Amino acid sequence: MSINGLEKTKTFSFDRSHSAKVLFKRPDKFREIEDLSKHNRTLINTGSNLSYSPLGFYKNSISVKLKKFNRIIDFNLKKKEITVESGITLSQLLNFTLLYDLWIPQIPGYPFITIGGAIASDAHGKSCALHGTIKNSIKEMTIFHIKNGWLSLSEKENKEIYNLTIGGIGLTGTIVNVTLKLEEFKNKNFITYKTKVNSVNECISEITKKSKEKDSFVYSWNMAENLKSLGKGFVFQNKINNGNVENFKFIPEEKKNKFLPFLPIWNKLTLKTANWIFYYLNNSSNHFREDDFTSVIFPFYGKEAYFKFFGKKGFYESQLLISENTIEDFFDEFKFIYKKFNPTISLFSVKNMRGTQEFLRFEDNKICVTFDFINNKKNILFMSELDKICVKLKIIPSIIKDSRLSKKIVEQCYPEYSRFRDLINNYDKKRIYKSEISQRLEI
Amino acid sequence: MKYLIVGATSGLGRELAYTFAEKKNNLVLAARDDRDLQAIKSDLSLKFRVEIKTISIDFSDIEEINNKILYDKEVHKNLNGVLFPIGFMVDKDNLLLDLKTIQNIIFANYASTNYLISKFFELFKNQEFTIVGFGSVSGLLGRNVNINYAAAKRALESFFESLAFQNKKKNFLIQFYTLGYLDTNLSFGKKLNLPKGNVKKISEIVYKNRNRKFLKRLYPFYWRIVSLLIKVIPFNLILSIKNLISKD
Repeated sequence: MSINGLEKTKTFSFDRSHSAKVLFKRPDKFREIEDLSKHNRTLINTGSNLSYSPLGFYKNSISVKLKKFNRIIDFNLKKKEITVESGITLSQLLNFTLLYDLWIPQIPGYPFITIGGAIASDAHGKSCALHGTIKNSIKEMTIFHIKNGWLSLSEKENKEIYNLTIGGIGLTGTIVNVTLKLEEFKNKNFITYKTKVNSVNECISEITKKSKEKDSFVYSWNMAENLKSLGKGFVFQNKINNGNVENFKFIPEEKKNKFLPFLPIWNKLTLKTANWIFYYLNNSSNHFREDDFTSVIFPFYGKEAYFKFFGKKGFYESQLLISENTIEDFFDEFKFIYKKFNPTISLFSVKNMRGTQEFLRFEDNKICVTFDFINNKKNILFMSELDKICVKLKIIPSIIKDSRLSKKIVEQCYPEYSRFRDLINNYDKKRIYKSEISQRLEI
Repeated sequence: MKYLIVGATSGLGRELAYTFAEKKNNLVLAARDDRDLQAIKSDLSLKFRVEIKTISIDFSDIEEINNKILYDKEVHKNLNGVLFPIGFMVDKDNLLLDLKTIQNIIFANYASTNYLISKFFELFKNQEFTIVGFGSVSGLLGRNVNINYAAAKRALESFFESLAFQNKKKNFLIQFYTLGYLDTNLSFGKKLNLPKGNVKKISEIVYKNRNRKFLKRLYPFYWRIVSLLIKVIPFNLILSIKNLISKD
């Protein structure tokens, strides 16, 4: 369907829980961004549409895709700063900065995520225990809001809107460019060490201990197919390999496995088999291996089949920030509801996180626990029970990852939910920027 | 080598700028909005380490063409060629259009290119110099929409053929591409009967052929068949078929 440079396409959230026929606009000139007001509709910004939750679309909004705004505007090697347009992908950015031994360390796990998308969701990567979220690498931004016009944002200028924009799920306008503070990163090869763990407690204490080490990214892979083996698995630690000075291999800028169909392969039996194969392979191999940059920083690249194997119905992810004081209580309650519902969990992982929680940003000095679920009735019921535990134990669930969270839960888990909503409504009185998630959470 | 690209900030023009810069050519980029030009300039010079000069220009204004391109010696210095991936369309380009708008369409899509080339023919007569023009499949046959745009593009093709005749004893390298829909913003959201051409691919083709003495080509290739059919089928028959389809 064609309406003045708009394309109507059926679009899905990455977890496939939401879909809508959405009008896309793909400006390639500054004038076209300014002309968005001519459409007289609500808008929302979309990067590569790789968010698990439907951040980048809403049935009544035009999705503004800044794919063509992917240029490097300025680069200052001395100051270690780069200004890029928000449509640049992580691979495009890093393929440039790493030539100068520089990077931003808060890199989410897939190379085709855009910088604009990473900022709007305040993304973090494997090194979040050391480096926190992408907020820590932002110096300033320029956004365009169709009523408020062009705005420069930084800690010094329009500070409130700057803070609302980072992790602001695209509701303050279109991020057009951003200046990032870069950090030195000389050797781009890693050694991955693994430590076998037999329980959740053992895993958490190992992660807490290893996360204190300098320049290492620590996370776990755990089994969750039944209560007996819950937490059994490995703690992985990526350390920079100073012994390997091989040249940096460019990060792919094109998707792998583009045409892989959605096949509903994951179920209790296949997951159990896959997990045990993974477990035994890791158990029987060396306790360390050499890894290149792409496989460590972008663990999901080349493993797209994992997501496709949930089939067309997709999956749900629950990512939770839990304080050290309540983690034991959480797993006690988790085990209790597990017994009752026997959910099918395809992924269970733990890492540490550093940061200060504000607005709807998923960051704090807490333990980050992730679960993936097959999309079925039993699991959704189980997740509803998890929501209750979150409220009870003051756990923060990620609104970026979990696309089924309700306003009621988010309001109770995020102390600054109301402040964020009120400030957004005050800044954008006509509420021009709307997405499925902003509607669901009544922002 | 150094090339001037007119209309360099979007679609094919932008892709040509990247292709030529990637092969280490210095560029002069001309387009309307300086913000777009500056963004491309910084990106190209940082990524490919080539020299980029930008000209913010309105191609429907003869004074600007004279002052910013023809009278600026910095533009001509060491220039090896010029590419015109330029197109100007308006909504409701039909029989009811006012004269001023018709003039603007004809000037931007035909006369400005014609004017610049005629001046360059004089300026660069003593060196090898590439001139690349871009027509449109909309100029293959009269039509119901964009009628003045299509007429201007057909005129442009004829002009390039004339250039080839004029060039027999000269050093100019002249290429003309008639383009079908490409996967650019102009065709974004349009449901078309034929697939869109790959803009990266045509840029590579243009670069590869930049030293050919004369070249006239339709892209994507399937438009060659359409073009051939239009040429062999009598116009009356095409008209009858079109009327018949319209009635349905």
